[in-house]
Amino acid sequence: MKNVIKVMVLGVFVMSLFVSCAKQPTQEIDAAKAAVEAAANEGATIYAPEELKAINDQMTAAMDEINTQSKKFFKKYGPAKEMLVKAVADADALKATIPAKKEAAKNAALTAQQEAQAAITEAKTLLEKAPKGKGTKADIEAMKADLKGLEDSFPQIQTAIDQEDFFGASNTAATIKEKAVAISDQVKAAIEKVKGKI
Amino acid sequence: MKSVSLTFILFSVLFFSACKTPPVPPEVEQAKVQENDLWRAGAPVYAAEEHSKYLLSLGLAKEKLIKQKARFGWFRKYEEVMASYQAVLAEGETILKKVKEEKESKSRDISGQLALLEDRISKLKNATLNMNENDLIRRNLARAGVASQEAEILLRREKYADLPEKIKTIDRHVSQAEEALFSILARYSDEDQVGAWRKWAAETIAESRKRGTTAIVVNKLERTLSLYKKGILIGVYEIGLSKYGLSDKLYAGDGATPEGKYTVIKKLPRSRFYKALLIDYPNEEDKRRFSQAKKRGLIPPRAGIGGLIEIHGGGNDSITNGCVGVENAVMDQIFPEVAVGTPVTIVGSLESAGRLITGLRK
Repeated sequence: MKNVIKVMVLGVFVMSLFVSCAKQPTQEIDAAKAAVEAAANEGATIYAPEELKAINDQMTAAMDEINTQSKKFFKKYGPAKEMLVKAVADADALKATIPAKKEAAKNAALTAQQEAQAAITEAKTLLEKAPKGKGTKADIEAMKADLKGLEDSFPQIQTAIDQEDFFGASNTAATIKEKAVAISDQVKAAIEKVKGKI
Repeated sequence: MKSVSLTFILFSVLFFSACKTPPVPPEVEQAKVQENDLWRAGAPVYAAEEHSKYLLSLGLAKEKLIKQKARFGWFRKYEEVMASYQAVLAEGETILKKVKEEKESKSRDISGQLALLEDRISKLKNATLNMNENDLIRRNLARAGVASQEAEILLRREKYADLPEKIKTIDRHVSQAEEALFSILARYSDEDQVGAWRKWAAETIAESRKRGTTAIVVNKLERTLSLYKKGILIGVYEIGLSKYGLSDKLYAGDGATPEGKYTVIKKLPRSRFYKALLIDYPNEEDKRRFSQAKKRGLIPPRAGIGGLIEIHGGGNDSITNGCVGVENAVMDQIFPEVAVGTPVTIVGSLESAGRLITGLRK
């Protein structure tokens, strides 16, 4: 009987040792939160929102697991820790990809800006070359006014780039380019019209 | 004693191993998918309050799930968890529906605003299509066009939050274009001025009827030349005007086309611009206005009153230096009908532009 009591006491001691030793992985939680926040601050909300959401979901799952374990008699935070470590690794990896993504968006905006400028220049050159004959003068003057309007809008691209709104800059540039190309096409048509008259 | 304990342990193991751990209800996984769907749909933006409540309900359901998961497998009961998750799913469905409706409503609202702005742009373009003095108007319309196309892109991408600012930009440029047009048309909506022009035209037609001769009435706003014979209209032709053709000519080089009652003083069968009919600008009234303007310092000191105003060929889409341009084929029709002495009355408009302005303002 004495032996049974001894075993029971020892069992209780070992169990309480298990229970009290399993502490919540607060360090890993803090690290994961910081990593996710750092990725978001780097620009993941704009350049990789889906990936960021997936990492946030990993975080939530890890927190749920911690919550589950905290209610258990035998707490096992190992899997939650692993999840958090993975979340940190994923967030760090995501953060590392953002500058490249941002750079790509910036380059796309700069390219679009150059293309818009080239389209304006082409339209301008064509308008200068356009026949000064009476038959097209009104059309040419009107197109010049349209082109001035596009030139007036052009600085918006740089403003957007300066504000790091690269997608907005690309949209504006693409729109200006499209409209400038349309003017070039009209000038070409006007030139053809005059040639036809001759 | 030892054998009793072993039997008890063996029995317990056999008993519990016979019990199955109930599976986590499928609603838990469905809720995960739904939560992602809500995020993608933009619930945090379009149904913020409902979405917060949803997350709260989801959190409570999760708590229940966690509580059950914390138990030993054979003690877990998921009925309550399942019910909670089902309620969450129902809540989520309602939010998804609301988000969809909210987005549709926003899209309809913004599309409506854009359509109205497009209509204003289109009306302005049509109203100024044949106006030579439309630089500022077209510049602003071009800027409005850029903003409008950007707004279309934002609308397609459901970026509703960025759209009000873009719409404001379009409206600003369209309003500036309208104001530029209205300032040009101010004289054309002055009832006294339009009344005087009507009187000139009526007198010219009456004279043509009375004397049985040909007469010409040029309407600058309509950009038409009407040819009358014995007071009867025999042809209406499109015309081209000068750079500032809608203004009344005051001095040489102002780019305006004169308004007044004139007469053909010379027919030129061979002219720089095909054929031409020279009119007697400046008449006495023009000279009086020129002199007054000069005294008031309203015109450059060295500027002369100008002259050599003609109706000539060369095309109606031309920009003249104050003359009235028509297509060569039209010149061929008019030229034989017109004799030296034929009255040519040039008016701004026979109808008040007030209606046009009101129409555009609507």
